[in-house]
Amino acid sequence: MAGKENKKIGTRIMENKFYPVIFLAVIVFVAVVLLMYVNNITTAKILEQREAKIVDQLENIFPEMDRYELKDEIFIVIKDNETIGYTFVAKGRGYGGEISTLVGIDKDLAIKQITVLSNTETPGLGTRITLASFTDQFKGLKSADVVLSRDGGKVDAITGATISSRAVADSVKKEMDLKIEIIKKNNY
Amino acid sequence: MNSLLTIFIGMVLINNFILTKFLGLCPFFGVSKKLSNAVSMGTAVTLVMLIASAATGVIYNYILVPYKVQFMNIIIYILVIAALVQIVEIVIKRTNIILYNALGIYLPLITTNCAVLGVTLINAQNNYSFVEGIIAALGGGLGFTLMLIIMSAIREKNELADTPKAMKGLPIAFIIASLLSLAFMGFNGLL
Amino acid sequence: MENMEERLSGKKFWQELLKGIVLTNPVFVLVLGLCPTLAVTTSVNNALGMGAGVIFVLLGSNVIISLIRKVTPNMVRIPVFIVVIAAFVTILSLLFEAYLPPLYESLGIYLPLIVVNCIILGRAEVFASKNSVLLSMADGIGSGIGFTVALIIIAFLREVLGTGSLVIFGRHLFSIPVLSVSPLSIFIMPPGAFIIIAVLMALFRLLGVLKYE
Repeated sequence: MAGKENKKIGTRIMENKFYPVIFLAVIVFVAVVLLMYVNNITTAKILEQREAKIVDQLENIFPEMDRYELKDEIFIVIKDNETIGYTFVAKGRGYGGEISTLVGIDKDLAIKQITVLSNTETPGLGTRITLASFTDQFKGLKSADVVLSRDGGKVDAITGATISSRAVADSVKKEMDLKIEIIKKNNY
Repeated sequence: MNSLLTIFIGMVLINNFILTKFLGLCPFFGVSKKLSNAVSMGTAVTLVMLIASAATGVIYNYILVPYKVQFMNIIIYILVIAALVQIVEIVIKRTNIILYNALGIYLPLITTNCAVLGVTLINAQNNYSFVEGIIAALGGGLGFTLMLIIMSAIREKNELADTPKAMKGLPIAFIIASLLSLAFMGFNGLL
Repeated sequence: MENMEERLSGKKFWQELLKGIVLTNPVFVLVLGLCPTLAVTTSVNNALGMGAGVIFVLLGSNVIISLIRKVTPNMVRIPVFIVVIAAFVTILSLLFEAYLPPLYESLGIYLPLIVVNCIILGRAEVFASKNSVLLSMADGIGSGIGFTVALIIIAFLREVLGTGSLVIFGRHLFSIPVLSVSPLSIFIMPPGAFIIIAVLMALFRLLGVLKYE
């Protein structure tokens, strides 16, 4: 008896002209809540992964490193309780999208090494910015020289990939200047 | 201005939606047999891409990023696109019934066209501003339309050729696409 | 009575599953989901990742949509399907970003693009909204596996021809001597993708697996 009555109430609800919209709204609400929950439980791990990725590369640039301290988005590289260098991420707009470069500078504020972390450039052309033949050029350069040779600096662009090359040079220089200012101001 | 031009040319020639990024393939192979259909389809998709880019650009830059809920973009973008296509469908039906009939079922299918959602996702991934996003959509849509026109012109002629039975229809269309893709790779060193 | 019903529905489960893999293979037969197929098949690794992701979303969305099929009003069914699918794709994306970052990066925008993969919306509309939860599960798994199989075949050809070797999960499986020195890199690039799928389709037609046009 109770079953039949429930069914009747059910069909009456479904015949209400607002039912479709309300149903959709409920579904959207449930979806949003679920997503916020999943986002919550994965956020920590995602941030962890991002930092881990950088730390991996950090050890490549400063293999002698003991530990690091992260201040103002600068990885201060420490050995034997002395600061031996700094590393930070430079981002620039390349040709296919954002290019992310890890820049390691030594105590004299000259580049020790750069590593291109991620890019979506043209395979075979723009992606050559990740090769040592391009990035090795940056070693030892001070900020003023981190400009393409055709613009007066010391970095030779990759043939056929000017935009990608310039994106790396420009973003590295810009970030270097910014971070060096912070380092000097805070005496890191 | 320089970077806007770069984005535009990049989207049309070098990162061509169909030949390089493989976005928008379903209508590409489905509609491209007649030239007139190709033009209508291309224009409709470009229009939706533009409006979708504008709407999602605003949502991304002024709501999602400030509130740090970028992960909601998938669900929000696709709902916006679905709503947009509905509206465009109604508008076309009211103003140009011939076009409406010509497009047929492919009109609502624009909702699931990878090119439309694709361009909005590319804009988010590259952190494009509102204007940059629209230019990217324009380039992407134009590249898509260009390909549709070229493809349909070739396929119309190909109908008369003596294609081996196993290759007739889709397979030969894929071969044509591969040759086009190969040719367009020549644009790679352009910028 | 109940025993026979149980056995029948068990058999139907596997039937639906197999159908999804062979008879109505999403890529080669229905020609759906082309966009991610060509983009993601540059390596078997990526193909496996994408396949797993699609199976996850298909399973989830088919089950949920089947569960609510009797109370979903016809008028809003497409938006409802879209929201359900989009939710699962977002969950997948977050999970990959957190626990499988290299895969997350190689798949790029093609991961969220799963949401407009015609296969998923297609199965929801054609099957899940009209069948029981158990059968919808079977259909989801079957179609998902069918898609993955197609991806793996294409990716295998592209990777072996295009790089001369096969690397899965970082483990180098094998290298073909002549090819690994000077691989046919065209197959790793867009034109090669089109060629491979054209040849495969023609081949399947000749073998009788596919119908002629």
